[in-house]
This record gives sequence, structure tokens and C-alpha cells, in this order.
Amino acid sequence: MRRQIARRDLVVGGLSSLAISPTFSNVASAKTDVIRFGLTPVFLDNDLALLKRLQDFLSRQTKREVQLVQRRTYEEITSLLISGQLTAAWICGYPYMAYSKQLAVVAVPLWRGRPLYQSYMIVSADRDATKLEDLKRDLHAFSDPNSNSGYLVTLAELAKIHQKPEDFFRRSFFTYGHRNVVRAVASGLAESGSVDGYVWEVIAEIEPNLARRTKVIVRSEWLGFPPVACLKRLKSLPETQAVEHALLNMQSDPDGAEVLRLLRLDGFVAAPANLYDGIARKMREARSLG
Amino acid sequence: MALQTSKLSFDPRRWPLSIRVPAVVVLLMFTVSAVVTDRVLSRLASTQSRHLSELTNAYLDGISSSILPHVLRDDVWETYDALKRAGSQYKGLDVNWTTVVNADNYVIASSAPKQFPLQSQFALEIRLPKTGSTQLFLDGAKHVSRFRRQIIYQGRTLGTIYGEIGISKLITERWDVLKALIITNTLLTLALAGVGYLAVRRMLKPVAVLSNHMRVGAESGASKIPDQQLGHPNGEFGELFRTYNSLVENVAERERLLKHLAEEERLASLGRLASGMAHEINNPLGGMLNAVDAIRRHGDRPEVRSTSVDLIRRGLKGIRGVVRSALATYRHREEDRTLAATELDDLALLIAPEIKRKKLQLEWRNDLVGDFQAPAHPIRDSVLNLLLNAISVSPQGSTIEFRVTADAKVLQIDVHDSGPGLPKDVSDYLNANDARTLPLEDHRGLGIWIVKRLLGEIRGSIHADTNARRGSRITISIPATRGKSLLDVEYENVA
Repeated sequence: MRRQIARRDLVVGGLSSLAISPTFSNVASAKTDVIRFGLTPVFLDNDLALLKRLQDFLSRQTKREVQLVQRRTYEEITSLLISGQLTAAWICGYPYMAYSKQLAVVAVPLWRGRPLYQSYMIVSADRDATKLEDLKRDLHAFSDPNSNSGYLVTLAELAKIHQKPEDFFRRSFFTYGHRNVVRAVASGLAESGSVDGYVWEVIAEIEPNLARRTKVIVRSEWLGFPPVACLKRLKSLPETQAVEHALLNMQSDPDGAEVLRLLRLDGFVAAPANLYDGIARKMREARSLG
Repeated sequence: MALQTSKLSFDPRRWPLSIRVPAVVVLLMFTVSAVVTDRVLSRLASTQSRHLSELTNAYLDGISSSILPHVLRDDVWETYDALKRAGSQYKGLDVNWTTVVNADNYVIASSAPKQFPLQSQFALEIRLPKTGSTQLFLDGAKHVSRFRRQIIYQGRTLGTIYGEIGISKLITERWDVLKALIITNTLLTLALAGVGYLAVRRMLKPVAVLSNHMRVGAESGASKIPDQQLGHPNGEFGELFRTYNSLVENVAERERLLKHLAEEERLASLGRLASGMAHEINNPLGGMLNAVDAIRRHGDRPEVRSTSVDLIRRGLKGIRGVVRSALATYRHREEDRTLAATELDDLALLIAPEIKRKKLQLEWRNDLVGDFQAPAHPIRDSVLNLLLNAISVSPQGSTIEFRVTADAKVLQIDVHDSGPGLPKDVSDYLNANDARTLPLEDHRGLGIWIVKRLLGEIRGSIHADTNARRGSRITISIPATRGKSLLDVEYENVA
């Protein structure tokens, strides 16, 4: 775990310096008319029809060409965002907070009326486990090392009992997707997993056969929902403004409303103050073990 | 028809051709079917094995290249995800599970993680060879095939892919093919057997016609095959039928000639008897003429007249006996319904001249009283023939015995001569159950043939017991028939 964080810091540091270099500025501004919108598995990004609708909606609303950019890991998208290669990206609150100096929130989704979500700890449906301690010596599936709900929260919870994942779990691995965590636990590949509560609930609704093979044993406190973020210095660009406008007015547009319905979200809002304090706290807790 | 009505035996050699040929067809078809089925199934099994092997290799080629980078990075999820994706992409393979282990034989990932948990020591119950890059093992009992392939990168073994493929579909396919073959072959065999049966029946129909005619001919005289059944003259059976008809004509002609000969023989006998009769009549005639002369000359004398009339009466009575016997012998056949004992005794009168000529002793005993219900003519003709034969073969001065016994059902007549005995062919002919045709050379046995034929007409039988020293004893037995007696004795009132 320490190794992962250390590596991410290095990458972030490197990319941060690159992001402000003229080279990347040129790259980013070379196609000012094109909106490059980064996506991460903070939602069910495996639904191609949904992605197409989102792309069409953004394109129509912004009156620009919109390219959706997906990568396997959060880290890759975050790097692209930090380096200025993306106009905006829907990232997790954890990398947002990690790069809060460079990043600004464009809009935050509303889920069940609030810009908040939880992290779930799930196990196989036929298991008797009810609390974190029951998962000791488990094979544990994390979502992504840069995911708040799929990694950081569990890390922070373990830190509270002075445990590190590599000591507490028999083995852990990353699936690089919340849905993959659910699949890993449902299939028996992992005995437990850390997953985005919003994603699990949506899966329970649209893929009940998959979700019912797992059960939630621990729910975290409510934390700031993964935001759509951009580089602070690019927030005033017309493209970024267009994206912000489109997202904030999404629920009033029929196509946008349909996209929101598919996402099981209520809309996007401007980020309330201190929305990600909880995640910042988790980061501190996680770092407390050194 | 004999072909259809023959009772089926368990011995196939006794089966009719119309059954034997289809049976052979069935046997041959069964053998051919068994061989073909075996070949088809062997070929199918070999094709299935080859396809399975090719598909398995294609599958392994696919997953080994896709999981290689993940195995290198020890990436559990991506390895698992690659295995799951591959499992659903290869529709031709029913992959039960695939498991990837590292060089130390610990599970990196498995498509069936509950069966092969992560990081557990991989221990499959079946023995897998430790060498070679890819192997395929068929476990027919469990309907699975298991495979193994090493993951080698830059000359280093990173791990091994193990897996199991369900082959139930292949086994089912084999069973389906076997069932289809059995059903098809059975239907084909039955159809061919049916066709064979009908074809052979059709082909043998002329044989049945011939057989039928021959059977009927054996029972009641041969008859010709009608022209409309003769078929083409150049055909095998057309030729045979025509030959058969020629044979029937020849037999009929021969029989006609025999009858003609028999009639001539009868007339010859009549001639001999007539000369005897003339002699018998001539003797009293002399006395009677003398008596007439005596009446003419001394008719006024009562004693002469009385003596002469008595003499004439005795003489006439003698003549009447001879004439009555001759008439009875040659009376029209239709009038015969009943045999009277006296009709047999009359025969003694008929042969008396011959007996006398050869100076033979005739021991005559007739136990028949009254009538016997049987046609008189054939019996008298037969007996007369036997007696004449006995006389002709008996040496001078020897004895001929004649015996008649009877009850209500059977009349039995023995004729025993003192001759040299019957030739063997004649006695065999007499003793044969069915001796319709005459086996004797020239017509020396013509009388015998007549006897046999006459007795045949009235269901009588004949038996010859012949001996060179004691002569021959010929016995005829005649069963009684039902019918009223029509014997009319023309001289009843005269007597």
C-alpha cells in the first residue's frame, strides 16, 4: 500500500510539472474546439449505449465535438487531466483531493438528492461476516488504488485498528472497476471487496442476479460524490464553461434527463463548500500508519 | 401352394426360398450395418477428437497470449477476466473451468475460483504429465477432456494452464449418430427383406404352379398347365412348363395304350374262356341230342320220355351255369354295386376248363355268405386275373388254393399257387403303396397292373407273399362301401 501511494505521488509530481510546461499547454490548446471528457469507473462505464447518449448530449449542449476518454485506471485519467490533455474528467474524490491544488470541481452529481455516496464492504451472500474484523485473512478485492470508496475508505478503516491491508488480508488485488469488485466477490475469486456504494446500488437494480450473490456488511459514512473536475487554470475556458453549463442544466434537458435516468442520478450541482472534507480526513487517517 | 403352406420349421434348411432369401438379406444387411456403424463411429470419434484437439489448441493459443502479460504482472483480476471472456467466446468448446497456476503450482486465477481458490496449491486428482507444452486427456467415464499447457516466456516457464472441457455433447452426438444408424439400417434392412420376399415370391410363382400341378397330378392324375400360364416360350419357366405338358401328354398316351392293351388282354381271356365254355356246353349237348332222339323215337314210352327230359334238364342246367357265369363276368360295370358270394363261386366254373386242362387241384373255400357291399365287377375281374395267373404259373398236377373270408367291413381273398414265385419287380410293384405307373417290361405284368388299377378304384389293397419253394400267396383286401345291393340274378326264378 505504501508502495502504491508512493508511486502515485511520484507520478503526480512528475505530471504536475509537465502540465504547466509549454509543450503540454500547446497540446491542450491545439484543439480548443474539441472537448476531451475523461471518464473513470466511478459509474458503470461499461454501458456503451449510455456513453453514446452522454457524448451526444454533451456535444449538442456544448456545440462542440466531444471525445470521451477512457483508461483502465483512475491514475491514467488523472494524469491526462493533470497534464492538461483533458478538458474535464469524472474522477473520484480521492484523486481530486490529492490534486486539489491543481484541480477544480466543474459539477458534482446528485444521488438520491444529495451529492454524497458511501463506500461498501461486500462479501459473498452466503457468508456470515458482519464487520470488518470478520474479513481478516481474506482474499480482498479493491477497485483502484486511487479510488476513495474502492480503496481509501477501507485503508482508513484498517488504519483505525492499526492494520495495513497486506497484513490484515491474506492477499488483496485491484480489479480497476467497481463492477469488477462485485463480480470478483460474486464468483468467489475474492472473499470480500471494497466497492462504491452508488455503483453497487445501481448494479442491484439493473443486474440483480449479480448483486444478490453479494451482500453489504459495512457502509461508510456519507462522503463527497465523485466530481467532474478540471484543471483550475482551464476552468474559465469556453469549453470547460460549456461542459459546466451542460451538466448543471442536464436535468432540464430531455436527453440529459434520460442520461441521468440511466445513471440513476438526479442531476449535477456546483460543489458545496467542504464537500470533500470527509475524503481528506480519510487520507489523513490512511497516512497515519505511515 | 406348397411354397406358402409349408409349416415353418426351426431348421433354416427347411425354410421356403421366399423366407430364406429375405433371411439371408437380413443377415447380410446386419453384418454390413455392423461394419458400417463401427467404421462411422470410429471415424466420428477420431474426427471429434481431432476437432476437440484443434479447438482446445486454438483456445489455449488465445488465452495463453492474452493472459501472458497479466501472469507476468501477477494480475489476478485481468487473468480471471481474460479466462472468463475466453470461456464465453469459444462457443465450440464447453469449457468447464480453466485455471492458471504459477511456476510453483499455486493458483493465479481460475474461471472457477470456488473450486480452485486463489493462491491455493493446485492439486488435481487426475495424473497430468510433467512434460510437454500441451496435452489433452480424454476421460470418457466422466465425459470430460482435460488439458494442460505451459506458459513459456523468453525460455522461462511462468506457469501452466490447466482446464477441463465437457464432452457430453460429443458423446450425445455419437449416441445420436448410433441411433440414427440403427434406425436407418433397420428400416433399410426390413425394406430390403420385404422387397426380397416379394421378389422371390414373384420369381418362384411359376415353380409354385409347377409344384401344384405335380402334387395334384400325383393325387388324381397329371393335368396340363393351361396355356395362359405357360409364359414366354423362350423363358426359363416357359420352356419348363412346355416340357412338363409334353410329359403329361406322354403319360396320358401311355395310360391310354395300357388300357387298350388291358382290353385286348381281357378279350383274349374271353376267347380262352369262350373255347372252354364251348367245350362245357358241347358235352351236355351230345347227351341232350341223344335224349331228343330217344323222345322222338320212343316218346310214347313214359319211362323213356321221363329219363330223356331229366337228361335234357340236367344238361340245360349245366349250360345255364356256364352262361350265367360268363354273363356275370362281363356284365356292364354300372350295374355293379354289391358282390354276391355266388358271383365268386361262378369264377370256379369259368376257370374249370383251364384247371382241367392242366390237371390242377383247386381247393375252393368261400366263407362269404350273402352279399358284400362292394362293386362286384372290379373284384371279380381282379380275382379272375389272379386265378388265371395262378393257373398259368402252376406246374401240372399242382394245387391252387382259393380262400374268401369276410366280415361286415372287409372282404379278404387269398390266391395261393404252387408256382416258382413272383419275380421281385412284380412283387415289389404289388406291395408298393402307390404304383400308378407300370414298372414292368413288355406286358407280362399287364394282368397285375389291371388288378392294381381295379383295386385302386375301389380303395382295395393287395399284398404278395412270394417264395420259390412254396409258390406265391396273393391277398387282396377290399373295404365295404355303403350302398344298396343291386345284384339281380336273372335266373333266380328258373332255379
